[in-house]
Amino acid sequence: MSQDHFQEDQEPDQYTKQTIENGFSRRSFLSRAAGGAAAAGLFGLSGLPAMAKDAAEAKGPELATSGDGGATLSFLPKPKPIRDREISETLTFDVVVVGAGASGVPAALSAAENGAKVAVVQKAPFALSQGNTGAGIDLAASEKAGVEALVARLIADSNHRCNPKLVRQWAYHSGEAVKWVIDRAKQGGSPVVDQGSPAQRAILKVNGYSLGYVTSFFGPKPYTTGDGMRHLAKTAEKAGVRFFFRMPAVQLVQNRAGEIQGVIARGPDGKYTKFLATKGVILATGDYQNNKAMSDYFIPDVKHFGRKQLDKTGDGFALAYWAGGVIEPIGHTKMLHDFDAGPASMCDMPFLAVDRKGRRFVNETVEMSLLNNYLRDAENAGHYSQIFDSNYMTQAAAWPGKLVPPEGLKNYMPEDPGPKKGVFESQVNTHVAGTIEELARKIEADPATLAATVKRYNELVASGKDSDFGKPADRLIPVLQAPFYGIHRRVRVSAICSGMLVDENHQALNAEGKPIKGLYLIGNLGGGFYGGVDYPLTVFGLSLGRCYTFGYLTGRHVAKL
Amino acid sequence: MKPMTIPKAVAALLVLLMAAGLGAAEAAPKTKATAKATAGTARTSKHADKGITCAQCHGRAAKKELVPMQQCLSCHGDTKELAARTAKVKPTNPHENRHFGTEADCNRCHHEHAVSENLCLPCHKFHFKVP
Ligand SMILES: Cc1cc2nc3c(=O)[nH]c(=O)nc-3n(C[C@H](O)[C@H](O)[C@H](O)COP(=O)(O)OP(=O)(O)OC[C@H]3O[C@@H](n4cnc5c(N)ncnc54)[C@H](O)[C@@H]3O)c2cc1C
Repeated sequence: MSQDHFQEDQEPDQYTKQTIENGFSRRSFLSRAAGGAAAAGLFGLSGLPAMAKDAAEAKGPELATSGDGGATLSFLPKPKPIRDREISETLTFDVVVVGAGASGVPAALSAAENGAKVAVVQKAPFALSQGNTGAGIDLAASEKAGVEALVARLIADSNHRCNPKLVRQWAYHSGEAVKWVIDRAKQGGSPVVDQGSPAQRAILKVNGYSLGYVTSFFGPKPYTTGDGMRHLAKTAEKAGVRFFFRMPAVQLVQNRAGEIQGVIARGPDGKYTKFLATKGVILATGDYQNNKAMSDYFIPDVKHFGRKQLDKTGDGFALAYWAGGVIEPIGHTKMLHDFDAGPASMCDMPFLAVDRKGRRFVNETVEMSLLNNYLRDAENAGHYSQIFDSNYMTQAAAWPGKLVPPEGLKNYMPEDPGPKKGVFESQVNTHVAGTIEELARKIEADPATLAATVKRYNELVASGKDSDFGKPADRLIPVLQAPFYGIHRRVRVSAICSGMLVDENHQALNAEGKPIKGLYLIGNLGGGFYGGVDYPLTVFGLSLGRCYTFGYLTGRHVAKL
Repeated sequence: MKPMTIPKAVAALLVLLMAAGLGAAEAAPKTKATAKATAGTARTSKHADKGITCAQCHGRAAKKELVPMQQCLSCHGDTKELAARTAKVKPTNPHENRHFGTEADCNRCHHEHAVSENLCLPCHKFHFKVP
């Protein structure tokens, strides 16, 4: 099956044009700050040396700030280049990958399998990633119309704002890539399995057309894709990839023509090593959720939410931006979940839901992955609870999702002394109580408020109509019969999935739409794949599947240059 | 690097003070000990009380730098040994975790010139008292 409707476009596509026009690059920054077309013209990539640019930046007028005064672009001034005499060692490779995560490790291995001499510089003491499920389309088991129907669905999920070429690239290469990741991770000792099509029940047919899937599962918890990438890294090491741990990349090496020639990383002893890359540098440093200034600027919606990752300070964004790359316009796509407090299979079931205080706030048919939008304030900060009574197994039996019986719920109860399986013990947060007031205390809500909410809800149920929020009548079940259950969920930022402008080779483009020689961006650092308010859960594991796929393709591409 | 005089046992002791008690659900706001805050002048410092000079940690350069973790280890010893000593701490070993293995930067929790913090909070309910 081929992507036969692609032709080499001379003009940049709609997405790319938009991103160049409205995104953030040093050129747009300078032209905005200095208020002149002159700046834009003067500071083309091959223009003034970095120091002169910095001087211009420093002299710019004061920047506008957000309402709370917190958000400015001041977090992106270009640092002084590290000088050669500060470098304690210089090493030369064909390909240097920055970041050993879900896109970086596959990229490194793929490059090595295609004959390149590869180094990976990694900030953490080992390969690090997160999540369990990664998805690809099994082309052999899919109709072409099905693939295109799913592509159309994903484009719609992104509010029609993504780069369709990148979505198609995932669609037509992900099956091969995810299979490859599974195979190579197994070689490294991983217990990964292919859960195939059964893991994607809701999309086996799209618009009436059939599809099949490859679904990698690195699990069950506490085993995750982090462990998976460590196993994959073992295979990569056997293939000759050299890993340098605890060595965050701090600067790129860029010549006057704007070409990227390597990267400088700082070791735990504070010393700098220069890694030269004759073919290219692939940045795979993940998102920027732990960089407060950057988050406040590009995605203020997540200001009050907790974070699920650590040390994702957007290092790759800064590096690529300093090199002339373009950050997607403000309004980035976010991913907020809580699959851990209670069973994942019950997270979208439309039980009564209450906010942190105990008030009903939504028509509960809204999926968990979207609820963050109702809970953005400092008080709620992503906290809510699902409430149901002892009849849930029968009364909710016909709902989509999968009910876990009371015995199984114990696995998610911090108060239950029994051994836990397949969960993160410090994240479970399901409770049972004899009264609503007692339940309120356990889910940390206000007892009187919760009691009033439940009373009102039961009245609505009895009336057969949700005159408060309009939820369908067949999704209304009462909360009457003790014991009462509460799953106290707390959605936090899993990932931010907007990134920087790239072409189909995942090569960074500058503000003129021209490729930056030697610089490639993958994983959540790569832009164009999403575009909606929230990451869609249509395909389970789209995010990791995309990371593997673009790592696999980009490693191969750069190795063959 | 000149070795200093604090016995390793002190580090282990400092670290072994766990307890219930820190009821607050949210972590204290991050207080990064900046190079500026650690420069010269009278500051509270457990190390200074033991006669250790600024330069022994921060170096002699005019511009004082943040202390690299290796500097801590040059006196306090190997991270793996430390993790072994705290292996039985409940609810979890503070010196070995999924994020960093045994290599979490000491400075992330233990502050010399500011109140120490517990990096595990608020994501995990691990209520350590951090010396
Ligand atoms: C709890 C959780 C569960 C999730 N579950 C799923 C799931 O089931 N399915 C799914 O599809 N998605 C899931 N996601 C999202 C998914 O994990 C991410 O989108 C994905 O890991 C992003 O891959 P990446 O390669 O961009 O970054 P990462 O996998 O995060 O890797 C980035 C790497 O770069 C390193 N790094 C950062 N800065 C530097 C630097 N300066 N120098 C060197 N190295 C650096 C980091 O240490 C890290 O190893 C989940 C996310 C979370 C938090």
